[in-house]
Amino acid sequence: MTEDERIFEFDAEESIAGGEFDLEPAPLPPVEEPALIRAQTAYGEDKGSRRNSSVRVRSRIVNTIIHIVLAVLCTVWILPFVGILLESFRCESPGLAGYLIPKQWGFDNYVRLFTETQFPRWFLQTFLMGLVTAVVQTAFVLAVSYALSRHRFRGRRLLMNLMLIFGMFPGFLTLILLRTLMQDWGLADANAPFGLAIIYCASSGMGYYIAKGFFDTIPRSLDEAARVDGASRMQIFFKLILPLSKPIIIYTVLMAFMAPWGDFVMARFMANNNDAGYNVAAGLQWLISETKVDTNYTTFCAGGVVVALPITILFMCLQKYYVAGVTGGAVKG
Amino acid sequence: MATVTLTNVKKIYGKSTVAVHDFNLEIADKEFIVFVGPSGCGKSTTLRMIAGLEEISEGTIEIDGRVVNDLQPKDRDIAMVFQNYALYPNLTVFENMAFPLRLKKTPARLSQDEIYRRVTEAAETLGITDYLLRRPRELSGGQRQRVAIGRAMVRDSKVFLMDEPLSNLDAKLRNQMRAEIILLRKKINTTFIYVTHDQTEAMTLGDRIVVMKDGFIRQVGTPTEVFDMPEDLFVAEFIGAPKMNTFRTRLDCDEEGYFVTTCGVRMRVDGEKGELLKARETQPQDIILGVRPEHITLTKRSDPSAIPCSIEVTEMMGSELHLHVKAETGEGLIVRIPTVSFTAAQLAMLTAGTKIFVTFRGKVMHFFDAEEVNLLRKLPAPAEETDLPQPEEANEQQEAETAQASD
Repeated sequence: MTEDERIFEFDAEESIAGGEFDLEPAPLPPVEEPALIRAQTAYGEDKGSRRNSSVRVRSRIVNTIIHIVLAVLCTVWILPFVGILLESFRCESPGLAGYLIPKQWGFDNYVRLFTETQFPRWFLQTFLMGLVTAVVQTAFVLAVSYALSRHRFRGRRLLMNLMLIFGMFPGFLTLILLRTLMQDWGLADANAPFGLAIIYCASSGMGYYIAKGFFDTIPRSLDEAARVDGASRMQIFFKLILPLSKPIIIYTVLMAFMAPWGDFVMARFMANNNDAGYNVAAGLQWLISETKVDTNYTTFCAGGVVVALPITILFMCLQKYYVAGVTGGAVKG
Repeated sequence: MATVTLTNVKKIYGKSTVAVHDFNLEIADKEFIVFVGPSGCGKSTTLRMIAGLEEISEGTIEIDGRVVNDLQPKDRDIAMVFQNYALYPNLTVFENMAFPLRLKKTPARLSQDEIYRRVTEAAETLGITDYLLRRPRELSGGQRQRVAIGRAMVRDSKVFLMDEPLSNLDAKLRNQMRAEIILLRKKINTTFIYVTHDQTEAMTLGDRIVVMKDGFIRQVGTPTEVFDMPEDLFVAEFIGAPKMNTFRTRLDCDEEGYFVTTCGVRMRVDGEKGELLKARETQPQDIILGVRPEHITLTKRSDPSAIPCSIEVTEMMGSELHLHVKAETGEGLIVRIPTVSFTAAQLAMLTAGTKIFVTFRGKVMHFFDAEEVNLLRKLPAPAEETDLPQPEEANEQQEAETAQASD
């Protein structure tokens, strides 16, 4: 009984040792003198200033060299653009000239471009091709990318790898086959723009890679939350994912729209020698081919400037949508 | 407001990776159940199977008596709150919360007024009325989580699923939101399934806790059951902070009863634990002895069961003191004592190097056998025999006595 009482005295609930317990404090350790830490800095008092100035001189020399190299590269890069722009306003002679600044300025070349050549036709054809490609390709790319990003289906890896590998083959390897195919369908030569539009659109799903990367950054839990909330796959894609994907939509639209303007090999080959079926690239080249360069060079330059315009305008209109962090706030950032 | 029944539910990834093994659980109507376990234990996978976001490899899940295995998430009448909130960034808070309501199909279609009423009502409950026109990125973490809860609330679904809803919040906000969830639960009054890796959340929120590890359920029970009578060593160590002290030792028996030898000190297993061991006719065996840090007390040197040890590290937590001590025999253990029981002078002495005496009583001991299973765990009740055992036991005892006598 006494045993029980004694135990009860120290029961966990009754006394959490607050009252009585023994302890032996540790002996105080001898106080150690703190070791003196000598401050050492890279730039001391007297030596430092000299070293400092030599460092400054050296960095100035390095900077100068870097800037010279950059300036040279910049000139090489920008000169063709400036050259084309300046030569397009040259009125005194139509051929190649040995100088850059026109002696006589004017819009004669532009007027000639639109009145005396097939350029308006080429321009319109290219513009329409660009429009169709932009719409179809964007739809394709977004759908394919979203599917590859969100759905897990058999053969998904294989499909992605295959598309990547096929994308690495240079496009002109398929030229002859495509030409034959389009010729059979009557979509070559003068009708080449139709054939080209089909070709551009047909391969568009292969450009999934960048858009898929973008969709991968949109958290899957958004889709899942929407599925729980009762949205169908279609509603999720159109109501949630697309509004968040403006940058990638714009990127895809721009890329798709620009493709027909710069394509020379395929466009030229499809139209063969029928200049009615050219796009701007093939047309402009035709303008200065062989002996025509002496009479058409400045007109060709004017054509180059006009081609650059729609793309520049388009980009300027759309660039404000290139905003980072659209998904900010969706998940903890 | 529904029951959820999981029968032999399994999740297999690929060909052989089993994420969830044979999950069986009946969740009662309006129960708050918490799945808790370390990361990778299958708790989230199980929740996602209930939500319909993961396919169920084997077994069935029933919500309100209806098998939902092949139903889309939207047809299961569930609402879910995600760890990263999953708010729709392009929509305002109001539109976020109205989103599930606007998607309802024609028969259940809601009028604009009804949507407005429900959203503002939920916003009021959660205190987010002022933010209704903002976009998610203009909100703080706590506010976003409230919106996510609000979006789930407006739907009046049968089951409310929460997947680690607080783990993206900082510690202070987490405590606050935890309390709010308890209040919210009273208001919504539906079936909750809550996944967390935080044992404090599990203990404070759950009516019942499901402790999981490696895809297996280790224990299902009320917080008190799980804390006081853990099924096995894993549960014992997982629940409670700091974690339970364990000692490899031997459970022995003499004419006075059971005793264990810890850190060189013989300790009687007294009280109800001793009686229970006796009732179970436990054989002396090698065991793992578990004692929670808060159940160890400081004592006098003269206490026969005093374990002499020295303090290695003192952690001052404010309201309590965590002492990491080393017994003279070499075992390390953690002692948790409330500071309020000590004078300032005493506390000042409880620092590294000080020698103290600790002890614990039989009622706080946990015994785990070689398979790390609790020796005293609640045995599965034999079906339909619960009314009869007393006379039978008496008979058996009598028989045993007569047998002994005849020997």
